[in-house]
Amino acid sequence: MAEICYENETMMIETTATVVKKATTTTRRRERSSSQAARRRRMEIRRFKFVSGEQEPVFVDGDLQRRRRRESTVAASTSTVFYETAKEVVVLCESLSSTVVALPDPEAYPKYGVASVCGRRREMEDAVAVHPFFSRHQTEYSSTGFHYCGVYDGHGCSHVAMKCRERLHELVREEFEADADWEKSMARSFTRMDMEVVALNADGAAKCRCELQRPDCDAVGSTAVVSVLTPEKIIVANCGDSRAVLCRNGKAIALSSDHKPDRPDELDRIQAAGGRVIYWDGPRVLGVLAMSRAIGDNYLKPYVISRPEVTVTDRANGDDFLILASDGLWDVVSNETACSVVRMCLRGKVNGQVSSSPEREMTGVGAGNVVVGGGDLPDKACEEASLLLTRLALARQSSDNVSVVVVDLRRDT
Amino acid sequence: MEANGIENLTNPNQEREFIRRHHKHELVDNQCSSTLVKHINAPVHIVWSLVRRFDQPQKYKPFISRCVVKGNMEIGTVREVDVKSGLPATRSTERLELLDDNEHILSIRIVGGDHRLKNYSSIISLHPETIEGRIGTLVIESFVVDVPEGNTKDETCYFVEALIKCNLKSLADISERLAVQDTTESRV
Repeated sequence: MAEICYENETMMIETTATVVKKATTTTRRRERSSSQAARRRRMEIRRFKFVSGEQEPVFVDGDLQRRRRRESTVAASTSTVFYETAKEVVVLCESLSSTVVALPDPEAYPKYGVASVCGRRREMEDAVAVHPFFSRHQTEYSSTGFHYCGVYDGHGCSHVAMKCRERLHELVREEFEADADWEKSMARSFTRMDMEVVALNADGAAKCRCELQRPDCDAVGSTAVVSVLTPEKIIVANCGDSRAVLCRNGKAIALSSDHKPDRPDELDRIQAAGGRVIYWDGPRVLGVLAMSRAIGDNYLKPYVISRPEVTVTDRANGDDFLILASDGLWDVVSNETACSVVRMCLRGKVNGQVSSSPEREMTGVGAGNVVVGGGDLPDKACEEASLLLTRLALARQSSDNVSVVVVDLRRDT
Repeated sequence: MEANGIENLTNPNQEREFIRRHHKHELVDNQCSSTLVKHINAPVHIVWSLVRRFDQPQKYKPFISRCVVKGNMEIGTVREVDVKSGLPATRSTERLELLDDNEHILSIRIVGGDHRLKNYSSIISLHPETIEGRIGTLVIESFVVDVPEGNTKDETCYFVEALIKCNLKSLADISERLAVQDTTESRV
């Protein structure tokens, strides 16, 4: 206890010492038993809470943490990584607020959860849309519903992402009803969304804080990762570096591929268009934008395009769940780790293993801005799974907004 | 017609003369430098009203979300600039080196921030010109900056030029819109 208090005092006194102290703590942690390690882990998270109150130390510390984790990931075995993650998750679980209770669900109603957190960014520029039964389809056998979910990670300002949240699902529905080909209807709806956004910017009608300074908002854009769930298929359309991951038979399957400027085919396309990718804090189009496709960003056309990549996956009995999330999550959590976390939450729904305790407030920067659930009927377990993923991303020093959608794909009947 | 021809012929020489007089940068090893030119269909006083706002660069620079200046608008004043998300920086600290309301010249130096532009210095100058018989402004912006470790001079110039081109395009769009408003108001 005295030791812990001393560490806290040291952290208050010197920023540099914080980094050094953490390194020491890491060394010391390896010498302790697992229960002590779990307790230490809780202290670690509490320490993060303190550090995140200051802008500068977070960046310094975040860099160190990120570097260390990257190195340890390379060196450590898979089981060690999983074990460490499990401990993080156990600690984070204790902060969830209530016992998970299985509720009877309306037949065929989708079970999903949403969580969105500002994190360490100054502004919240992510947006999430979930629209159960956004499109109804009559077949010769029955009337079925298609369900829509989308994650939009804005940059430069929030209004492009907000407009995607309002409109993109409507465009998808219109285009699919016009021509029942997912590849084509997704491409057309994304193109229309992009044109609407560019026109909005040109008119100076964005109605956001950009307007206070100047009417043009060419340098604003958003990612868009969208999924349509039908009784037979999972359709994913992606533009940018958010991501959709399916968990099937316990294994992570990426349903989208990130549009990074140094992806070989994207690099070729950009160069063929006369653009250039420069490594400036990572690969960037013209050295400026860290993704090669986006809705909006008119000033970077034709190098940054809005055409989505579409995957259509047949549903199977082994499908567990689907995760859609912004890169604030995926930059610090692997597909496999995210699937493990969600499986733990959803499995808890079955056998009640997930323990609960009164929710302790994370009072650090951004943590108080957690938004949970949608307007409709989110599923409790999915909601907690998505919340847990955002917490894990924050605990791992994600420096971005984090938005997560979890959809339970298991068939109960 | 003949007058226009003469002015067009002298324009390149004028540009070179302006650059020689106002855009000298002393380069040291591992620095790069470049000069960009933009022709704007708006009178100098309108363009200058935007450029000279050291305290509000976001009036025409699309990548800036906020700016805070401590002190008066005089040589040595420092501004703290917040950069919009999505770019390889979140803030920049910049010092006012020169503000000449007669010659229409502004010079700044970057003295801090979480970006990779070290020892960056830039000069932007405005010069009246005639474009197709109408009053316009020739804008010249030049810069010098260290080449960061891991990048080439060519890459560094390309990146900075891309940013400046966006700024100058935005400056042109806004100035020309203001010029149209000016004309409309003066008619009424």
